[in-house]
Amino acid sequence: MAGIGTIARRTFLVGSVAIAGGVAFGYYMVRKPHANPLLDDLAEGEATFNPWVKISSEGITLITPHTDLGQGAYSMQAALIAEELDLDFGQFEVSPGAPSAAYYNTALADEAAPFLSTDRGMQANMTRGAMGALFKILGAQISGGSTSVPDSFDKLRLAGAVARETLKKAAAAKAGVSIEDLQTRSGAVVLPDGDSIPYTDLAAAAAKVKPVKNVELRAPSEWRLIGKPMQRLDIVGKSTGTLPYGVDLEIDGMVHAAVKLNPRQGGALNSYDASAAEAMRGVIKVVPVTGGVAVVADNTWRAFQAANAIEFDWGPAPYPAEMDAHWETLSGAFKEDRLDKVWRDDGDVDAAIAAGDAVDAEYRAPYVAHAPLEPISALVRVDDNGAELWAGTQMPRFVQTNVAAIVGCEPEDVQLHNQYVGGSFGHRLEDEQIKCAAEVAKAMKGTPVKLTYSREEDFAHDFPRQIAMGKMKGVVEDGRVAAYDLSIAMPSVADSQLSRQPLDPPPGPDSQIAAGAWNLPYDLPHFRMSAYKAPPLAPISSWRSVGASSNGFFADAFLDELIHAAGADPLEERLRLMNNDVARKVLEAVGEMSGWGSAMEPNRGRGVAFIESFGVPCAEVVEVSATDAGVKIDKVFVAADVGRIVDPINFDNHVKGAVVWGLGHAMNCEITYSDGKAQQTNYHAHEGMRLYQCPEILVRGLENADRIRGIGEPPVPPAAPALANAIFAATGERIREMPFNKHIEFV
Amino acid sequence: MKKTLGLASALGLGVIAAMGVALSHGSGDDDAAIDLVVNQPEGDVSREEGLAAWDRIFAVASHPRCANCHTDENNVPMWSGPSYGKTRPHGMNINAGMSRIGIESMPCTTCHTQSTKPNTIPHAPPHTGHVWMLAPVEFVWFGKDTQTICAQMRDPERNGGRDGAGLVEHILHDAEIKAFITWGFNPGGGREPAPGTMQDHLNDMVTWTAAGMPCPDPAG
Amino acid sequence: MQLIVNGETVDADVEEDMPLLWVLRDELNVKGPKYGCGIAQCGACTVHVDGMPVRSCSITAKQVEGAEVTTIEGLGTPDALHAVQEAWIDHQVAQCGYCQSGQIMSAAALLAIYPEPSDEQIDRALSANLCRCGTYPRIREAVKSAAAKLQGA
Repeated sequence: MAGIGTIARRTFLVGSVAIAGGVAFGYYMVRKPHANPLLDDLAEGEATFNPWVKISSEGITLITPHTDLGQGAYSMQAALIAEELDLDFGQFEVSPGAPSAAYYNTALADEAAPFLSTDRGMQANMTRGAMGALFKILGAQISGGSTSVPDSFDKLRLAGAVARETLKKAAAAKAGVSIEDLQTRSGAVVLPDGDSIPYTDLAAAAAKVKPVKNVELRAPSEWRLIGKPMQRLDIVGKSTGTLPYGVDLEIDGMVHAAVKLNPRQGGALNSYDASAAEAMRGVIKVVPVTGGVAVVADNTWRAFQAANAIEFDWGPAPYPAEMDAHWETLSGAFKEDRLDKVWRDDGDVDAAIAAGDAVDAEYRAPYVAHAPLEPISALVRVDDNGAELWAGTQMPRFVQTNVAAIVGCEPEDVQLHNQYVGGSFGHRLEDEQIKCAAEVAKAMKGTPVKLTYSREEDFAHDFPRQIAMGKMKGVVEDGRVAAYDLSIAMPSVADSQLSRQPLDPPPGPDSQIAAGAWNLPYDLPHFRMSAYKAPPLAPISSWRSVGASSNGFFADAFLDELIHAAGADPLEERLRLMNNDVARKVLEAVGEMSGWGSAMEPNRGRGVAFIESFGVPCAEVVEVSATDAGVKIDKVFVAADVGRIVDPINFDNHVKGAVVWGLGHAMNCEITYSDGKAQQTNYHAHEGMRLYQCPEILVRGLENADRIRGIGEPPVPPAAPALANAIFAATGERIREMPFNKHIEFV
Repeated sequence: MKKTLGLASALGLGVIAAMGVALSHGSGDDDAAIDLVVNQPEGDVSREEGLAAWDRIFAVASHPRCANCHTDENNVPMWSGPSYGKTRPHGMNINAGMSRIGIESMPCTTCHTQSTKPNTIPHAPPHTGHVWMLAPVEFVWFGKDTQTICAQMRDPERNGGRDGAGLVEHILHDAEIKAFITWGFNPGGGREPAPGTMQDHLNDMVTWTAAGMPCPDPAG
Repeated sequence: MQLIVNGETVDADVEEDMPLLWVLRDELNVKGPKYGCGIAQCGACTVHVDGMPVRSCSITAKQVEGAEVTTIEGLGTPDALHAVQEAWIDHQVAQCGYCQSGQIMSAAALLAIYPEPSDEQIDRALSANLCRCGTYPRIREAVKSAAAKLQGA
């Protein structure tokens, strides 16, 4: 390929809407599909019908290109193919396959287009189409933005259907019967006489048949798998310690590496003394890398020990060394020349606020680490022809390009084996550890090198969630919320993240600065949402629910303040303002589930919040008790509408996990910088929620929305405001800053 | 002896012994022993000298390094140090139970092993030459004032049945097996040690007991 | 030194201060115990030493010489599951799964002593095992199911 970077720069410079050109109106009608990567090394007698299905006489392989970070993506993708291909779980293998442009993500375009999710107008759809075309041209194989399900839902069912019909065609020819008389069941074509031919026996014949293109997807009433509880393919492996993650890989001749990079992220390495490290047992080599030094040894622990024995003189941080300056920068960003976009401007906010008795507030959200439990790692071998690498990544094609640049080869000469990932939450949308491992492997040509970050190094070099600030004003009138002026400032996540990739940020405003806040589905007489792009501070990245993770807290918690100021009921007033039926039903559901309005004991309280993110309306009610020792979170009720639930068990598990994520970080997590270094070095100082703090969580999934959406992120944004609102109800204390344990204790 | 101690023995000591077998393999490490000298005072020790020695003993006993594991019948150890901002209950919902060794749910030894090796890793669970545990509940020091701790320490019903000589011997024995008192003065891992040295502490205990274990008058 | 891991006696030529975790993972290729934090904050490396739960990152291999070390691989296998693993599968506890070896080992240790743990005991015994995916509600359910299974057995 010409290099993702070259294409990307050129394309983005053209501008996203300009290239619409009628190219992209969905997968089926794209005129020139990407080549099927499975054709590249297809053996004699093997059949492939599209980039997702490969059948040989030995077995069936389903390609599941969305990375499995723990969200069950492999199982979900396999189920969608198996639904149409009439396969049972157990009859196929899954593989992430090799990175390919064919696996570009079409659904990411939806979130990237600056329109309300409910906007199905021509301009909105044209822009989404244009963005989709862009992602196609880029071959942007990315797992992120809660898009694995929406990207796969039609595509993979279609892939299964094409394979099925083609196998039937082959069977018809072989058995001399008409296709119309054939059925498929449990991995076989069933002949009119009841005999069946396994797909594997048809592979050689099917390989010679032209794939059937004209297929119909089954009606939901015919589904065997979708919508019913499934057993995840990885569940036994993950319950027996037998499933290998990237960090567990072991190949012949492999050595282990550890690294120390400037803890002032992006700062220079002035000098170092590794003489002590070099003399330590098991140390094979000390390798300077970009921004630091790696140690290669015969055991991970020995590499860690030796890396700790190196003395460093680090340069200063390329961002303010102390937190005060970060907050001052944000506070100073609420001004005209930093205004990125006024996303919403209903009524006349200025006049309404000037006329009324305005309530105002300032809200803060800190940097927060991803800190998935599997520390980042990568295994790389570099030789004269290129590189082979084993690592979990959400953006395999970017990784190929980046490693190629380091190794000095073409991206296609970087053979990437994507791995199971022990949690990401956005962490694996970065590839610093892979680049670093490639540098070390280049210095150790021929030897496979597995680089593992220590937990401390992972914390020091996490690119955390953005720091953000909200400034709000509002007016209430006659027991109602009359005006809401919401301004948010943050540095651009996209700018920071893409500065580490061969890609320029897209032109135009950064939608994440407004995500979750501008699209409140409320008919307020006067509502303005202004987004301010602060200058870059510490490097940041996408963190589960991205902009909405801070903005949801700001937008909903201050609305709650206004509702209380108006003397209205928090749920009733939100329902009164709600202008969208799908969202209204979500809010009504949590009201009903929680018995909203029923009496509570003294010192207890409940709070409600509603935020839409990634196109998913999600409402939560949190119940807390204020005890002498601190606040206890008793119960959480969640309702969300994703249009269609593929697997109710996985949906339930995801929602609960996202609630735990949202609440845990709101309770007690932040990354702060002093002397330019993150002060939190391990989980003792960035704990999140522990089991004993986990409330009972009751989940209801609704299916009223017109399109299918992902659930990985949407329950995160409403969690923090629902908790803040509940704490206010129980204690009268309004907390406007995360983490909340700066103000109250939790038990 | 109070009921809780009895229960602790019944529940815990058998397990302590078992864990000792399981977890103390190779823990008889050969680090340099702490050489302590018992400096017996010549002649009588005045009440003033004794009280001055007690003040220093109290400074040690009430120091977080010691008091954090001398907590009350809730059986919850405490954490303190710069990264916590203020003293807080031990994270992870840790509760040592009435056994004071955690056997009712999760033994302290799950994380705190038994070893006389130095503690070097910041924020890692510290270890000593004794099986990790909370002090018996009678010895509660956390949040207590000087009079209360003093009264407890000289009361054989609440100090493990020790007289003055027994208290001195307790320190010597601790040094021998590198247990908790020894650790308190050299906690490692960047933790702030208890004030003074083990030898100072021994001197103070000798002085205080020789003075007849005087306790300060209640304030005011 | 000689170690007994999952019933087998094995030799390891390592430093006296190398944590058990790294002897298991990098010297003996036993990858079930996971490295998550290195300081007993996450519990992903939990193994049993003579039946008691231990964070293998925070104990040296030397300290367990002669003792029976059991890892998740020794607790049960896909073909012969331990009751706790069975319950974990029935409830589909795992998301990313990286912490689950440690969760299961902690739960198995608790149930070995307390076949019918109270809610309080479960909350105390398992709150030192960190799950970033937030599978706690299912962990609680699975522990109770495992207890019931063990009772029935």
